Amino acid sequence: MTALVEGAKRLVGKGSSDVTTRVAGLEQAVEAARGRLDDALVDDAAGVVDRAGARLRLSAEHTVVALAGATGSGKSSTFNAVTGLDLAAVGVKRPTTSWTMACTWGAEGSGDLLDWLGVPRRHQVSRNSMLDTPAGDDRDLQGLVLLDLPDHDSTEVSHHVEVDRLVKLTDVLVWVLDPQKYADAAIHDRYLRPLARHKDVMLVVLNHIDEVPADRRSSMVADLQRLLKADGLEGVPVFTTSARNGDGVDELKKELAARVAAKKAVRARLLADVKGVAQRMQEENGTAKPGDVARARKSELIDAFADAAGVPTVVHAVDQATRVRARQATGWPVTKWLSRFKPDPLKRLHLDLGPRGKELTAGARASVPEASQVQRARVDTVVRAVADDAAGDLTHPWAVAVRHASVSRLEDLNDALDRAVSSTDLGVSRTPMWWQVVRTLQWLLFVVAVAGGLWLGGLAVMGYLQMPEPETPDYLGFPVPTLMLLGGVLAGILVALLSRLFTVLGARRKARSADRRLRAAIGEVTEELVIEPIEAEIEAYRRVRDGLATALR
Amino acid sequence: MTTPATPTDMITALVRLREALQAARLPLDLPGVEEVRKNQHEMVDQIEDYVLPRLIQIDAPLLTVVGGSTGAGKSTLVNSLVGTRVTEPGVLRPTTRSPVLVHNPEDADWFDKERILPDLARTTGASGDPGALQLVSSDAVPPGLAILDAPDIDSVEERNRTLAAQLLAAADLWLFVTSAARYADQVPWDFLKAAAERSTAVAIVLDRTAPEAVAEVAGHLARMLITRGLRDSPLFTVEEGRLDEDGLLPAEAVAEIRGWLHSLAADSNARAAVVKQTLDGAIRSLSHHTYDIADAAAAQATMVARLRVDVDRAYDDALAKVDEASADGTLLRGEVLARWQEFVGTGELLRSLETRVGWLRDRIVAAVKGRPQQADKVTVAVESGLETLILEHAENAAERAEASWMSVQAGQHLLEDSGRDLGRASRDFRARAERAVRDWQQGVLEMVRTEGADKRSAARFLAFGFNGLAVALMVVVFASTAAIPTGAEVGVGTGTALIGQKLLEAVFGDQAVRRLAAQARKDLNSRVGELLDTERQRYVDVLDELEIDPDAAESLREVSRRIDDLRFAAQIAPTPAEESSLQNIAPDETPSERA
Repeated sequence: MTALVEGAKRLVGKGSSDVTTRVAGLEQAVEAARGRLDDALVDDAAGVVDRAGARLRLSAEHTVVALAGATGSGKSSTFNAVTGLDLAAVGVKRPTTSWTMACTWGAEGSGDLLDWLGVPRRHQVSRNSMLDTPAGDDRDLQGLVLLDLPDHDSTEVSHHVEVDRLVKLTDVLVWVLDPQKYADAAIHDRYLRPLARHKDVMLVVLNHIDEVPADRRSSMVADLQRLLKADGLEGVPVFTTSARNGDGVDELKKELAARVAAKKAVRARLLADVKGVAQRMQEENGTAKPGDVARARKSELIDAFADAAGVPTVVHAVDQATRVRARQATGWPVTKWLSRFKPDPLKRLHLDLGPRGKELTAGARASVPEASQVQRARVDTVVRAVADDAAGDLTHPWAVAVRHASVSRLEDLNDALDRAVSSTDLGVSRTPMWWQVVRTLQWLLFVVAVAGGLWLGGLAVMGYLQMPEPETPDYLGFPVPTLMLLGGVLAGILVALLSRLFTVLGARRKARSADRRLRAAIGEVTEELVIEPIEAEIEAYRRVRDGLATALR
Repeated sequence: MTTPATPTDMITALVRLREALQAARLPLDLPGVEEVRKNQHEMVDQIEDYVLPRLIQIDAPLLTVVGGSTGAGKSTLVNSLVGTRVTEPGVLRPTTRSPVLVHNPEDADWFDKERILPDLARTTGASGDPGALQLVSSDAVPPGLAILDAPDIDSVEERNRTLAAQLLAAADLWLFVTSAARYADQVPWDFLKAAAERSTAVAIVLDRTAPEAVAEVAGHLARMLITRGLRDSPLFTVEEGRLDEDGLLPAEAVAEIRGWLHSLAADSNARAAVVKQTLDGAIRSLSHHTYDIADAAAAQATMVARLRVDVDRAYDDALAKVDEASADGTLLRGEVLARWQEFVGTGELLRSLETRVGWLRDRIVAAVKGRPQQADKVTVAVESGLETLILEHAENAAERAEASWMSVQAGQHLLEDSGRDLGRASRDFRARAERAVRDWQQGVLEMVRTEGADKRSAARFLAFGFNGLAVALMVVVFASTAAIPTGAEVGVGTGTALIGQKLLEAVFGDQAVRRLAAQARKDLNSRVGELLDTERQRYVDVLDELEIDPDAAESLREVSRRIDDLRFAAQIAPTPAEESSLQNIAPDETPSERA
């Protein structure tokens, strides 16, 4: 766009930067709309952007005026009359002119412009080169590039193509009509009505006026103006000329001189182009505010994803695993070895293999059951709802684009969920302090109980051997070894039971925290798989909308 | 023309053609259909306006239609030919007014409404209504010939253009007026090309030409005529000259044309030859173009069939998928599984089932745990699972059907015109799906109830109650194609279904269980099918509303073949063969500016 800005700076007259802004706005809209709105329309707009950019880079000192019209209307005669030279072939055979002829007043810097217009050098004439000093009104025409186009209505289709091409490129269009053909559908339906937006850069010339009886002329002009009004071209100046006799040519020249001097035509023409296509795009694009995905809907999405990822299974497993492990750590040493035979549910799911296990199985699938059809259906339903919410009142093409975007990454769903689940730290590897304490306590109690048992055993053996019974201390009337044995056992069991109670609470807490972490991880997955692509579309929509708003401002 | 039987046969055939053409509907926006629709309309018009009337009254006066561009001087020419001001020329374009038909007073009867152009009202005064035909009788026109001043063919006034096309299609002879400024225009040449194609008799008038340009322009025009297949059309030139106070051209300027027309009127053989040339050409081109219409009609039928197949494929797939998912055990995961396991209790139940149903124990457990509630929980879980499944597949099918319609332009327009959002399931679909699932569950319950009527006393039956057995039956249905458990997690799904199976077998016997399961599955399938059918019907309705008759193409082709047969039969019969009817009329008066 920098070249465009430079080109625009060269344009004299206020508001040139305004054109640049609008073109830039349209360009932004085109880029963002590509692949989303109707291709033909986007191509049209891209064409306008290209043409506007190219024209702005070219000479701002020149105004390109094209004489267009039907065969036999006198384009070439008018061209000759305005240039004052006998340049364009005039004849009775139709169609006469087969190529575009150009005449430049003030040739400096017009070369590139004419190249861009595609007028070959052999069909170019420079008015200055023929006359040493531009005299009179010719000085006023400095900066005019006058084109004589072929016809648009003869049997020669190549002529129509040339006209269609150049009508898009010129700054000012002069439609040369004649009394016989001024109401032809060929010109009104194909050119004037579609170009209604360009009425500021249009002139209409009713040529061959000498063939109409003088008393009928004004009614004919009125009739022509009626037709122009029906085309949406009210207010376009109509000149009556007779190129053959030279009537009215001076007025036409004066008008052209005024247009050239004002140097507004380039801008007006480009503005009309930009506005026209931007308007059409806006009709298809709409200006609605995109919808919002509510927090509730997002959490619904996370729920569905979590369900599909088997989060409830994993959370349950965390709960169970914590219990098993806690029991192993805090159980009564005599019986806790039994729980070793109970499989660790997390290991069964290939989760929580420890840091080394992770390394080995990095990227490997966890064995969380794959999403069932019902879960998958639920995911799809919620995603659809999210897309609906996000699309809100957007027009159909955008609703379709959002919907496509919402499912564009769902193919990776299973993998992404799996990665999320297996990479989440479930928080089960850390063993709480109190487990160690209880474990020590249990061993301590166990040792006490065993010691008591051994003591009692020793006493029994000594009694059996009729050895003198050593003094056994007692406490509150109970022999200490007995107290040790029974107390150790009872306290061990009691501690085991108590810690079981705490284990349940702890397991629940762990499960909840695992659930939270898993959901957070899955939240990221939903962002990545669903929300981000949708937001990219919404962002594209905003760019188109804002770009068009700039272009139409 | 030939044997007396032939015209009658031909008339019958043409009437049938008209009916077939009217019956062939082309509502879909296939590429190029606009053109075909226009042709179809024009063909019907031509049959009514010209071919049938002309066939029925072969002796009617020769209708010469003066047509051409706006501003070429048609009205002035007609006035000058007649010698009085019968139609109003104007400098303003386009001139909208009724077309004017000038005829000899003797021929007045021929031009009442029944004969030609039946849809134009007749008037005798000048009128601005293009839907009327102004009749003027004048002695200046020889008997056996009528001149019709048609509107322009190329102005902004669309009614003029269509009326001109209609009038030209109804002409025995075209007097095509062009001017020095006009003669290379595209629109008139499109008409002339059509005339050449169906060998309509055409005479060209080069009007409003400056005297010094006449030779050059006429030469160029003659060359153009030859290269475009109108070598046999006479070419007249009228110089641009002063008009007299009545707005008429000097008599000598139009003497040539007038003389030619008069000699044509005087020579009944020549007249018949002109009529025959145009009529035969018209019929030939009609039968020829009928094939185009038939092809278009066939393309419409094909497209409708394609769109129908698209819809069917989407919804059949959806039905198949729901059916599959409802039987392969996938429904037995997640919520349903959890509730079912809660319902059947622990593995101990399984063990007790292996020997016998421990009904007493279960009864106690039921009393304590409130089993019926558990059964309800399973029912609810089944309901929401099935519902989600059906809903999503219906949405998916709607989306797929829409996408495949959107891929062709015709389908795209149908969707836009339907004014309904077919890309989504209908609004009330969720409610209907819910009801259908509940109805199915009710049906399963009924089934169990009927089956268990005579086993009511069975102790085992009592232990689980209807609800429990119905739930068990559903679970069996959901696992019915999940065959042999493989892999770890199937063990939980179908493994538990086995419990249900055993339970049911214990109550009803294994044969009855299989029958019940099959019946329940069939019932579910048919309910889902009904649900999806109403969804599918939304698309089918759009297609049905088009009322495209798949046989239209064939009947068109058949009529066309019949007409061709009749034409060939007529050609074999002896006719005064002539290459160019117009060249033979007044050879000495035909201008010879040919290059």
